[in-house]
Amino acid sequence: MNLDWSVVWDHRRQFLDGALMTILLTVVTMSLALPGGLLLALLRLSPLRPVRLCATAFVEFFRATPLILQIYWAFYVLPATFDIRLPDFATGVIGLSLNVSAFNSETFRAGIISVRQGQTNAGLALGLSKTQVFIYIILPQAIMRVLPALANTWVSLFKDTSLVSTIAIAELSYVSLQIRARTFRFLEMLTAMAAIYWIMGYPQAKLADWIHRRFKVQE
Amino acid sequence: MTKPPHTNATRRKNEPLLKFESVSKYYGKTLALRDASFCVNRNEVVCIIGPSGSGKSTILRCATGLETIDAGQIVFGGLTVHAENTDLRLLRQRMGMVYQSFELFPHLTVIRNVALALVVVRTMNKNAALIRSEEMLERVGLIEKANEYPANLSGGQQQRVAIARALAMEPDLMLFDEPTSALDPETIGEVLTVMKRLAEEGMTMVVVTHEMDFARRVADWVVVFDEGTVIEQGPPKQIFDAPAVARTKGFLSHLGWHDDTESESNNSQ
Repeated sequence: MNLDWSVVWDHRRQFLDGALMTILLTVVTMSLALPGGLLLALLRLSPLRPVRLCATAFVEFFRATPLILQIYWAFYVLPATFDIRLPDFATGVIGLSLNVSAFNSETFRAGIISVRQGQTNAGLALGLSKTQVFIYIILPQAIMRVLPALANTWVSLFKDTSLVSTIAIAELSYVSLQIRARTFRFLEMLTAMAAIYWIMGYPQAKLADWIHRRFKVQE
Repeated sequence: MTKPPHTNATRRKNEPLLKFESVSKYYGKTLALRDASFCVNRNEVVCIIGPSGSGKSTILRCATGLETIDAGQIVFGGLTVHAENTDLRLLRQRMGMVYQSFELFPHLTVIRNVALALVVVRTMNKNAALIRSEEMLERVGLIEKANEYPANLSGGQQQRVAIARALAMEPDLMLFDEPTSALDPETIGEVLTVMKRLAEEGMTMVVVTHEMDFARRVADWVVVFDEGTVIEQGPPKQIFDAPAVARTKGFLSHLGWHDDTESESNNSQ
Protein backbone atom coordinates (compact mmCIF):
# COMPACT_ATOMS: atom_id res chain seq x y z
CA MET A 1 0.00 0.00 0.00
CA ASN A 2 1.20 3.38 -0.95
CA LEU A 3 1.15 5.84 1.92
CA ASP A 4 1.51 9.54 1.42
CA TRP A 5 1.84 11.40 4.71
CA SER A 6 2.49 14.73 3.03
CA VAL A 7 -1.27 15.06 2.62
CA VAL A 8 -1.55 15.48 6.38
CA TRP A 9 1.02 18.27 6.45
CA ASP A 10 -0.60 19.97 3.49
CA HIS A 11 -3.85 20.23 5.43
CA ARG A 12 -2.27 21.33 8.72
CA ARG A 13 -4.21 24.60 8.65
CA GLN A 14 -7.58 22.78 8.49
CA PHE A 15 -6.52 20.33 11.19
CA LEU A 16 -5.53 23.21 13.44
CA ASP A 17 -8.87 24.96 12.90
CA GLY A 18 -10.71 21.69 13.54
CA ALA A 19 -8.76 21.06 16.75
CA LEU A 20 -9.46 24.60 17.94
CA MET A 21 -13.16 24.13 17.24
CA THR A 22 -13.12 20.88 19.25
CA ILE A 23 -11.54 22.70 22.18
CA LEU A 24 -13.96 25.60 21.86
CA LEU A 25 -16.95 23.24 21.84
CA THR A 26 -15.67 21.46 24.92
CA VAL A 27 -15.00 24.64 26.87
CA VAL A 28 -18.27 26.35 25.95
CA THR A 29 -20.31 23.21 26.61
CA MET A 30 -18.74 22.61 30.01
CA SER A 31 -19.09 26.20 31.08
CA LEU A 32 -22.82 25.90 30.41
CA ALA A 33 -23.17 22.38 31.77
CA LEU A 34 -21.56 23.08 35.15
CA PRO A 35 -24.07 25.71 36.28
CA GLY A 36 -26.78 23.78 34.39
CA GLY A 37 -25.94 20.59 36.24
CA LEU A 38 -25.85 22.36 39.58
CA LEU A 39 -29.21 23.99 38.91
CA LEU A 40 -30.75 20.64 37.94
CA ALA A 41 -29.28 19.01 41.04
CA LEU A 42 -30.84 21.72 43.23
CA LEU A 43 -34.19 21.30 41.49
CA ARG A 44 -34.01 17.56 42.10
CA LEU A 45 -33.40 18.23 45.79
CA SER A 46 -36.24 20.74 45.98
CA PRO A 47 -38.87 20.20 48.67
CA LEU A 48 -41.55 20.83 46.01
CA ARG A 49 -42.62 17.58 44.41
CA PRO A 50 -43.61 18.93 40.96
CA VAL A 51 -40.26 20.70 40.64
CA ARG A 52 -38.46 17.53 41.64
CA LEU A 53 -40.43 15.45 39.16
CA CYS A 54 -39.78 17.77 36.21
CA ALA A 55 -36.06 17.88 36.90
CA THR A 56 -35.92 14.11 37.31
CA ALA A 57 -37.80 13.57 34.04
CA PHE A 58 -35.38 15.90 32.24
CA VAL A 59 -32.31 14.20 33.65
CA GLU A 60 -33.56 10.70 33.03
CA PHE A 61 -34.50 11.54 29.44
CA PHE A 62 -31.07 12.90 28.57
CA ARG A 63 -29.23 10.18 30.44
CA ALA A 64 -31.10 7.34 28.79
CA THR A 65 -31.14 8.41 25.13
CA PRO A 66 -28.16 8.53 22.78
CA LEU A 67 -26.34 11.82 22.52
CA ILE A 68 -26.35 11.66 18.73
CA LEU A 69 -30.13 11.46 18.77
CA GLN A 70 -30.29 14.55 20.99
CA ILE A 71 -28.04 16.41 18.58
CA TYR A 72 -30.19 15.41 15.61
CA TRP A 73 -33.24 16.42 17.55
CA ALA A 74 -31.82 19.88 18.19
CA PHE A 75 -30.80 20.12 14.54
CA TYR A 76 -33.96 18.87 12.80
CA VAL A 77 -36.88 18.93 15.24
CA LEU A 78 -36.34 22.32 16.86
CA PRO A 79 -36.43 24.22 13.54
CA ALA A 80 -39.17 22.08 11.95
CA THR A 81 -41.52 21.89 14.92
CA PHE A 82 -40.87 25.00 16.96
CA ASP A 83 -39.50 27.19 14.21
CA ILE A 84 -36.37 27.83 16.25
CA ARG A 85 -33.46 28.37 13.89
CA LEU A 86 -30.02 28.70 15.41
CA PRO A 87 -26.54 28.72 13.94
CA ASP A 88 -25.03 25.23 13.70
CA PHE A 89 -22.51 25.97 16.44
CA ALA A 90 -25.25 27.02 18.87
CA THR A 91 -27.30 23.94 17.98
CA GLY A 92 -24.33 21.69 18.68
CA VAL A 93 -23.58 23.40 21.97
CA ILE A 94 -27.23 23.13 23.05
CA GLY A 95 -27.35 19.40 22.28
CA LEU A 96 -24.09 18.73 24.08
CA SER A 97 -24.72 20.92 27.09
CA LEU A 98 -28.22 19.58 27.77
CA ASN A 99 -26.76 16.10 27.79
CA VAL A 100 -23.72 16.94 29.91
CA SER A 101 -25.88 19.02 32.30
CA ALA A 102 -27.96 15.92 32.96
CA PHE A 103 -24.86 13.91 33.81
CA ASN A 104 -23.33 16.71 35.88
CA SER A 105 -26.54 17.07 37.85
CA GLU A 106 -26.27 13.47 39.00
CA THR A 107 -22.67 14.07 39.97
CA PHE A 108 -23.47 17.23 41.94
CA ARG A 109 -26.47 15.62 43.57
CA ALA A 110 -24.39 12.69 44.78
CA GLY A 111 -21.79 15.12 46.14
CA ILE A 112 -24.33 17.25 47.97
CA ILE A 113 -26.07 14.25 49.54
CA SER A 114 -22.73 12.81 50.65
CA VAL A 115 -22.06 15.70 53.05
CA ARG A 116 -23.41 14.46 56.35
CA GLN A 117 -26.33 16.07 58.16
CA GLY A 118 -24.16 17.03 61.13
CA GLN A 119 -22.43 19.65 58.99
CA THR A 120 -25.75 21.30 58.23
CA ASN A 121 -26.73 21.19 61.88
CA ALA A 122 -23.42 22.70 62.95
CA GLY A 123 -23.93 25.55 60.48
CA LEU A 124 -27.52 26.17 61.54
CA ALA A 125 -26.48 26.08 65.20
CA LEU A 126 -24.03 28.90 64.49
CA GLY A 127 -26.92 30.99 63.20
CA LEU A 128 -26.38 30.57 59.46
CA SER A 129 -29.46 30.46 57.24
CA LYS A 130 -30.13 27.36 55.14
CA THR A 131 -28.89 29.16 52.04
CA GLN A 132 -25.70 30.25 53.80
CA VAL A 133 -25.13 26.72 55.06
CA PHE A 134 -25.43 25.49 51.49
CA ILE A 135 -23.12 28.10 49.98
CA TYR A 136 -20.40 28.18 52.63
CA ILE A 137 -20.45 24.66 54.04
CA ILE A 138 -22.16 22.07 51.84
CA LEU A 139 -21.33 23.18 48.30
CA PRO A 140 -17.55 23.60 48.71
CA GLN A 141 -17.29 20.13 50.24
CA ALA A 142 -19.55 18.63 47.58
CA ILE A 143 -17.50 20.16 44.76
CA MET A 144 -14.22 18.88 46.18
CA ARG A 145 -15.68 15.41 46.40
CA VAL A 146 -17.02 15.36 42.84
CA LEU A 147 -14.06 17.00 41.07
CA PRO A 148 -12.69 13.62 39.95
CA ALA A 149 -16.06 12.65 38.46
CA LEU A 150 -16.36 16.03 36.73
CA ALA A 151 -12.87 15.60 35.31
CA ASN A 152 -13.93 12.25 33.83
CA THR A 153 -16.99 13.85 32.29
CA TRP A 154 -14.75 16.52 30.80
CA VAL A 155 -12.56 13.91 29.10
CA SER A 156 -15.62 12.09 27.74
CA LEU A 157 -17.08 15.34 26.52
CA PHE A 158 -13.87 16.22 24.72
CA LYS A 159 -14.20 13.06 22.66
CA ASP A 160 -17.98 13.23 22.31
CA THR A 161 -17.76 16.60 20.60
CA SER A 162 -16.92 14.51 17.52
CA LEU A 163 -20.63 13.66 17.34
CA VAL A 164 -21.54 17.18 16.25
CA SER A 165 -19.61 16.50 13.02
CA THR A 166 -22.92 14.92 11.96
CA ILE A 167 -24.49 18.37 11.79
CA ALA A 168 -21.60 19.85 9.83
CA ILE A 169 -19.78 21.72 12.58
CA ALA A 170 -16.19 21.97 11.43
CA GLU A 171 -14.49 20.42 14.43
CA LEU A 172 -11.63 17.96 14.21
CA SER A 173 -13.63 14.88 13.10
CA TYR A 174 -15.62 16.75 10.51
CA VAL A 175 -12.54 18.37 9.05
CA SER A 176 -10.59 15.10 8.91
CA LEU A 177 -13.47 13.25 7.28
CA GLN A 178 -13.92 16.03 4.76
CA ILE A 179 -10.30 15.93 3.72
CA ARG A 180 -10.46 12.17 3.53
CA ALA A 181 -13.45 12.39 1.21
CA ARG A 182 -11.67 14.87 -1.00
CA THR A 183 -8.26 13.16 -1.15
CA PHE A 184 -9.27 9.50 -0.68
CA ARG A 185 -6.36 9.27 1.78
CA PHE A 186 -8.49 7.57 4.44
CA LEU A 187 -5.71 5.69 6.22
CA GLU A 188 -3.50 8.76 6.58
CA MET A 189 -6.39 10.96 7.57
CA LEU A 190 -7.88 8.62 10.15
CA THR A 191 -4.45 8.01 11.63
CA ALA A 192 -3.73 11.71 11.81
CA MET A 193 -7.12 12.30 13.39
CA ALA A 194 -6.47 9.62 16.01
CA ALA A 195 -3.03 11.05 16.73
CA ILE A 196 -4.33 14.58 17.20
CA TYR A 197 -7.16 13.44 19.48
CA TRP A 198 -4.69 11.41 21.50
CA ILE A 199 -2.13 14.20 21.80
CA MET A 200 -4.82 16.51 23.12
CA GLY A 201 -6.76 13.94 25.13
CA TYR A 202 -3.93 12.15 26.89
CA PRO A 203 -2.79 15.11 29.04
CA GLN A 204 -6.42 15.69 30.02
CA ALA A 205 -6.81 12.07 31.08
CA LYS A 206 -3.59 12.35 33.07
CA LEU A 207 -4.82 15.55 34.66
CA ALA A 208 -8.05 13.77 35.60
CA ASP A 209 -6.00 11.00 37.22
CA TRP A 210 -4.06 13.57 39.19
CA ILE A 211 -7.30 15.21 40.34
CA HIS A 212 -8.49 11.77 41.45
CA ARG A 213 -5.45 11.35 43.66
CA ARG A 214 -5.43 14.91 44.92
CA PHE A 215 -9.10 15.13 45.91
CA LYS A 216 -9.66 11.62 47.15
CA VAL A 217 -12.25 11.77 49.94
CA GLN A 218 -10.44 11.47 53.22
CA GLU A 219 -12.48 11.21 56.36
CA MET B 1 -16.82 36.73 86.92
CA THR B 2 -14.50 34.06 88.33
CA LYS B 3 -16.44 31.88 90.63
CA PRO B 4 -14.93 29.93 93.48
CA PRO B 5 -14.16 26.30 92.65
CA HIS B 6 -16.74 24.83 94.97
CA THR B 7 -19.85 26.73 94.05
CA ASN B 8 -21.71 23.51 93.62
CA ALA B 9 -21.90 23.30 97.39
CA THR B 10 -23.65 26.65 97.64
CA ARG B 11 -27.39 27.28 97.33
CA ARG B 12 -28.85 27.40 93.86
CA LYS B 13 -29.54 30.86 92.48
CA ASN B 14 -32.82 31.47 90.83
CA GLU B 15 -32.12 33.24 87.56
CA PRO B 16 -33.38 30.88 84.89
CA LEU B 17 -31.75 31.27 81.48
CA LEU B 18 -33.05 28.07 79.93
CA LYS B 19 -36.16 26.29 81.11
CA PHE B 20 -37.63 22.99 79.96
CA GLU B 21 -41.28 22.74 80.93
CA SER B 22 -42.96 19.35 80.55
CA VAL B 23 -41.32 18.71 77.17
CA SER B 24 -42.56 15.69 75.23
CA LYS B 25 -41.51 14.51 71.82
CA TYR B 26 -42.27 11.57 69.57
CA TYR B 27 -40.37 10.16 66.62
CA GLY B 28 -43.31 8.68 64.78
CA LYS B 29 -44.85 6.55 67.50
CA THR B 30 -41.68 6.20 69.51
CA LEU B 31 -41.58 8.33 72.60
CA ALA B 32 -38.32 10.30 72.75
CA LEU B 33 -39.10 12.70 75.59
CA ARG B 34 -41.87 12.50 78.16
CA ASP B 35 -42.82 15.39 80.36
CA ALA B 36 -39.21 16.44 80.92
CA SER B 37 -38.71 19.51 83.11
CA PHE B 38 -35.61 21.18 84.45
CA CYS B 39 -34.06 24.56 84.55
CA VAL B 40 -30.63 26.08 83.89
CA ASN B 41 -29.76 29.22 85.80
CA ARG B 42 -27.37 31.89 84.62
CA ASN B 43 -23.68 31.11 85.33
CA GLU B 44 -24.56 27.58 86.24
CA VAL B 45 -23.24 24.25 84.95
CA VAL B 46 -25.92 21.62 84.53
CA CYS B 47 -24.84 18.10 83.66
CA ILE B 48 -27.29 15.67 82.11
CA ILE B 49 -26.49 12.03 82.74
CA GLY B 50 -28.29 8.80 82.03
CA PRO B 51 -28.14 5.67 79.90
CA SER B 52 -27.75 5.79 76.11
CA GLY B 53 -30.97 6.49 74.27
CA SER B 54 -32.59 8.13 77.28
CA GLY B 55 -33.26 11.42 75.46
CA LYS B 56 -30.32 13.48 76.74
CA SER B 57 -29.03 14.51 73.34
CA THR B 58 -32.54 14.91 71.95
CA ILE B 59 -33.44 17.53 74.52
CA LEU B 60 -30.33 19.57 73.61
CA ARG B 61 -31.29 19.50 69.94
CA CYS B 62 -34.78 20.62 70.91
CA ALA B 63 -33.30 23.55 72.83
CA THR B 64 -31.64 24.83 69.65
CA GLY B 65 -34.89 24.48 67.73
CA LEU B 66 -33.29 21.95 65.36
CA GLU B 67 -35.94 19.49 66.55
CA THR B 68 -39.61 20.16 67.08
CA ILE B 69 -41.42 19.20 70.26
CA ASP B 70 -44.92 17.79 70.62
CA ALA B 71 -45.89 19.13 74.04
CA GLY B 72 -44.62 21.49 76.71
CA GLN B 73 -42.28 24.38 76.03
CA ILE B 74 -38.66 25.44 76.16
CA VAL B 75 -37.94 29.01 77.20
CA PHE B 76 -34.54 30.60 76.57
CA GLY B 77 -33.86 34.08 77.89
CA GLY B 78 -37.58 34.88 77.86
CA LEU B 79 -38.13 33.54 74.33
CA THR B 80 -40.22 30.45 73.70
CA VAL B 81 -38.02 28.40 71.36
CA HIS B 82 -40.81 26.71 69.42
CA ALA B 83 -43.15 29.70 69.22
CA GLU B 84 -44.05 30.56 65.66
CA ASN B 85 -42.66 34.09 65.76
CA THR B 86 -39.34 33.16 67.36
CA ASP B 87 -36.36 34.01 65.16
CA LEU B 88 -34.42 30.79 65.52
CA ARG B 89 -31.37 32.23 63.78
CA LEU B 90 -31.04 34.98 66.38
CA LEU B 91 -31.71 32.54 69.18
CA ARG B 92 -29.06 30.11 67.95
CA GLN B 93 -26.47 32.87 67.82
CA ARG B 94 -26.87 33.17 71.57
CA MET B 95 -26.37 29.44 72.14
CA GLY B 96 -23.10 27.70 71.38
CA MET B 97 -23.35 24.05 70.44
CA VAL B 98 -20.59 21.45 70.68
CA TYR B 99 -21.13 18.02 69.18
CA GLN B 100 -19.81 14.58 69.99
CA SER B 101 -18.44 14.34 66.42
CA PHE B 102 -16.97 17.92 66.46
CA GLU B 103 -18.49 18.82 63.08
CA LEU B 104 -15.66 21.14 62.12
CA PHE B 105 -15.85 22.22 58.50
CA PRO B 106 -13.17 20.08 56.81
CA HIS B 107 -12.68 22.39 53.83
CA LEU B 108 -11.70 25.35 56.03
CA THR B 109 -8.58 25.92 58.11
CA VAL B 110 -8.95 26.02 61.86
CA ILE B 111 -9.06 29.81 62.03
CA ARG B 112 -11.57 30.02 59.16
CA ASN B 113 -13.77 27.52 60.98
CA VAL B 114 -13.88 29.92 63.89
CA ALA B 115 -14.26 33.03 61.74
CA LEU B 116 -16.94 31.77 59.33
CA ALA B 117 -20.03 32.62 61.36
CA LEU B 118 -18.52 35.94 62.47
CA VAL B 119 -18.19 37.00 58.86
CA VAL B 120 -21.33 35.41 57.44
CA VAL B 121 -23.76 35.79 60.33
CA ARG B 122 -22.36 38.74 62.28
CA THR B 123 -21.16 40.45 59.07
CA MET B 124 -17.92 41.41 60.80
CA ASN B 125 -15.17 42.51 58.47
CA LYS B 126 -12.67 39.80 57.73
CA ASN B 127 -9.77 41.23 59.70
CA ALA B 128 -11.79 41.84 62.83
CA ALA B 129 -13.19 38.32 62.56
CA LEU B 130 -9.72 36.82 62.24
CA ILE B 131 -8.48 38.80 65.24
CA ARG B 132 -11.40 37.62 67.36
CA SER B 133 -10.82 34.06 66.11
CA GLU B 134 -7.19 34.22 67.15
CA GLU B 135 -8.26 35.28 70.63
CA MET B 136 -10.62 32.33 70.81
CA LEU B 137 -7.95 29.88 69.66
CA GLU B 138 -5.63 31.41 72.26
CA ARG B 139 -8.30 30.65 74.84
CA VAL B 140 -8.40 26.96 73.99
CA GLY B 141 -4.61 26.81 73.58
CA LEU B 142 -4.52 26.12 69.84
CA ILE B 143 -3.25 29.32 68.28
CA GLU B 144 -0.33 27.44 66.73
CA LYS B 145 -2.79 25.29 64.75
CA ALA B 146 -4.63 28.27 63.26
CA ASN B 147 -3.66 27.51 59.67
CA GLU B 148 -3.95 23.73 59.81
CA TYR B 149 -6.89 21.83 58.39
CA PRO B 150 -9.06 19.95 60.90
CA ALA B 151 -7.99 16.58 59.45
CA ASN B 152 -4.45 17.24 60.73
CA LEU B 153 -5.60 17.68 64.33
CA SER B 154 -6.19 15.09 67.03
CA GLY B 155 -9.74 14.53 68.23
CA GLY B 156 -9.13 16.52 71.39
CA GLN B 157 -7.71 19.42 69.41
CA GLN B 158 -10.64 19.33 67.00
CA GLN B 159 -13.08 19.47 69.87
CA ARG B 160 -11.25 22.45 71.37
CA VAL B 161 -11.52 24.21 68.00
CA ALA B 162 -15.25 23.43 68.01
CA ILE B 163 -15.49 25.05 71.43
CA ALA B 164 -13.56 28.11 70.18
CA ARG B 165 -15.88 28.31 67.18
CA ALA B 166 -18.93 28.38 69.44
CA LEU B 167 -17.34 30.85 71.89
CA ALA B 168 -16.50 33.28 69.09
CA MET B 169 -20.19 34.12 68.77
CA GLU B 170 -20.15 35.19 72.45
CA PRO B 171 -23.10 33.00 73.39
CA ASP B 172 -25.04 33.33 76.63
CA LEU B 173 -25.13 29.59 76.94
CA MET B 174 -23.03 26.64 75.78
CA LEU B 175 -24.57 23.26 75.03
CA PHE B 176 -22.27 20.25 74.97
CA ASP B 177 -23.56 16.99 73.51
CA GLU B 178 -21.27 14.25 74.82
CA PRO B 179 -18.19 16.31 73.95
CA THR B 180 -15.69 13.64 74.95
CA SER B 181 -17.49 10.46 73.92
CA ALA B 182 -15.76 10.18 70.54
CA LEU B 183 -12.30 10.95 71.90
CA ASP B 184 -9.32 8.77 72.63
CA PRO B 185 -8.85 8.46 76.38
CA GLU B 186 -5.61 10.46 76.30
CA THR B 187 -7.23 13.52 74.75
CA ILE B 188 -10.35 13.63 76.93
CA GLY B 189 -8.50 15.49 79.65
CA GLU B 190 -7.53 18.50 77.54
CA VAL B 191 -11.15 19.04 76.49
CA LEU B 192 -12.47 18.69 80.04
CA THR B 193 -9.82 21.17 81.22
CA VAL B 194 -11.03 23.76 78.72
CA MET B 195 -14.62 23.14 79.82
CA LYS B 196 -13.70 23.44 83.49
CA ARG B 197 -12.00 26.76 82.80
CA LEU B 198 -15.11 27.99 81.00
CA ALA B 199 -17.22 27.00 83.98
CA GLU B 200 -14.89 28.89 86.30
CA GLU B 201 -15.23 31.96 84.09
CA GLY B 202 -18.95 31.82 84.74
CA MET B 203 -20.19 30.47 81.41
CA THR B 204 -23.64 28.95 81.62
CA MET B 205 -23.29 25.39 80.41
CA VAL B 206 -25.46 22.36 79.78
CA VAL B 207 -23.35 19.25 79.39
CA VAL B 208 -24.63 15.85 78.33
CA THR B 209 -21.88 13.58 79.54
CA HIS B 210 -20.75 10.18 80.65
CA GLU B 211 -17.81 11.69 82.53
CA MET B 212 -19.17 11.20 86.03
CA ASP B 213 -16.05 12.63 87.58
CA PHE B 214 -16.52 15.86 85.63
CA ALA B 215 -20.20 16.02 86.55
CA ARG B 216 -19.47 15.45 90.21
CA ARG B 217 -16.75 18.12 90.39
CA VAL B 218 -17.94 20.82 88.03
CA ALA B 219 -21.73 20.65 87.90
CA ASP B 220 -23.92 22.85 90.05
CA TRP B 221 -26.90 20.71 89.21
CA VAL B 222 -27.23 17.21 87.83
CA VAL B 223 -30.22 15.96 85.87
CA VAL B 224 -30.69 12.22 85.47
CA PHE B 225 -32.53 11.04 82.36
CA ASP B 226 -34.04 7.66 81.74
CA GLU B 227 -36.55 6.59 79.09
CA GLY B 228 -37.06 10.15 77.86
CA THR B 229 -37.77 11.78 81.16
CA VAL B 230 -36.09 13.29 84.20
CA ILE B 231 -36.07 10.67 86.90
CA GLU B 232 -34.08 12.66 89.41
CA GLN B 233 -32.29 15.99 89.71
CA GLY B 234 -30.32 17.77 92.37
CA PRO B 235 -26.90 18.98 93.41
CA PRO B 236 -24.12 16.54 92.46
CA LYS B 237 -23.41 15.55 96.02
CA GLN B 238 -26.94 14.34 96.45
CA ILE B 239 -27.13 12.55 93.10
CA PHE B 240 -23.79 10.80 93.36
CA ASP B 241 -23.60 10.13 97.09
CA ALA B 242 -27.20 9.59 98.01
CA PRO B 243 -29.41 9.04 94.96
CA ALA B 244 -33.03 8.78 95.95
CA VAL B 245 -34.26 6.90 92.91
CA ALA B 246 -33.48 3.23 92.43
CA ARG B 247 -32.84 3.62 88.67
CA THR B 248 -30.25 6.34 89.33
CA LYS B 249 -28.49 4.01 91.72
CA GLY B 250 -28.68 1.26 89.14
CA PHE B 251 -27.27 3.49 86.41
CA LEU B 252 -24.39 4.75 88.54
CA SER B 253 -23.40 1.33 89.79
CA HIS B 254 -23.68 0.02 86.23
CA LEU B 255 -21.13 2.65 85.17
CA GLY B 256 -18.89 1.60 88.03
CA TRP B 257 -19.06 -1.91 86.78
CA HIS B 258 -18.47 -1.18 83.14
CA ASP B 259 -16.08 1.77 83.12
CA ASP B 260 -14.04 0.34 80.25
CA THR B 261 -16.83 -0.43 77.81
CA GLU B 262 -18.57 2.84 78.52
CA SER B 263 -17.34 4.88 75.56
CA GLU B 264 -18.17 2.10 73.16
CA SER B 265 -21.81 1.94 74.10
CA ASN B 266 -22.06 5.75 73.89
CA ASN B 267 -21.08 5.77 70.27
CA SER B 268 -23.99 3.62 69.25
CA GLN B 269 -26.44 6.19 70.51
